[in-house]
Amino acid sequence: MLQTIFVGLFGIAAIWFGVVVFTTSSMVRSALALLFSQAAVGAMFLAMQTEFLGVLQIMMMGTEMSIMAIFMVMYMMDPGGLMGMDMTHQKRISQVAGVLGALVVVGIVFLVGWGSIAGSVPPDQQVHGLGIELMERSMLIFETAGITILTAMIATIAVALERRQ
Amino acid sequence: MATLIVALIVGAILFGVGLYGSLSQTNLVMIMMGVELILAGAMVNLVAFWRFLHPEAYSGQMFVLIVMTVMALEMAVGFGVGTARFRYKGSVEMEEARDLKG
Repeated sequence: MLQTIFVGLFGIAAIWFGVVVFTTSSMVRSALALLFSQAAVGAMFLAMQTEFLGVLQIMMMGTEMSIMAIFMVMYMMDPGGLMGMDMTHQKRISQVAGVLGALVVVGIVFLVGWGSIAGSVPPDQQVHGLGIELMERSMLIFETAGITILTAMIATIAVALERRQ
Repeated sequence: MATLIVALIVGAILFGVGLYGSLSQTNLVMIMMGVELILAGAMVNLVAFWRFLHPEAYSGQMFVLIVMTVMALEMAVGFGVGTARFRYKGSVEMEEARDLKG
């Protein structure tokens, strides 16, 4: 019962801050709202007894959103939101698509029979199990992720470099 | 069962909010924020499925790690494209972008 309450509370926080991202006019506030939304998702993981992923999510998103805030201030035409610029288009279609998308998924949640609920796994067993998974069955996927990161790093630098005429 | 349903509903709403954001915003950075929210919704679902349905299958946690990697890559490549775009056009407004050629 307590777990459901905490998952629900952190979930409401994640949704609320997610909405604030697109309703506030200040870009710094927008980036901070996304940071809080992602941190609330991390807190949900902790409430669902997935400690490793919860801590990883909070740490990773904290760093990621701080970098994002810097880029937003650099590239936005009105980072403080003082000029009241409207940076949206096709608002009505987007609202319909967003609401419809969420409703369809919620409908699926209620229509599917999920079966029986499993018991929790202690945190030390989880980390051990994940380590074994990473080094055995999912080794190739893990290595592929590493190579993909390296490729993306090189591609990003190549794209962002100033071209000499 | 209630906790699983709550988590899945939160995931669904995060997906909806992210979909709205990524479709309605004209700025590249804001579009990426929408995609981040969609991926966050997917991660909530994956963790809920792993924890409440198959805690013995650690490939579920592995899947979440891959989604986190995708989130980081999406941001890195997006900012790379944004930097190139800003350098040549002085803006990252996607309304004006018709192709990726600088």
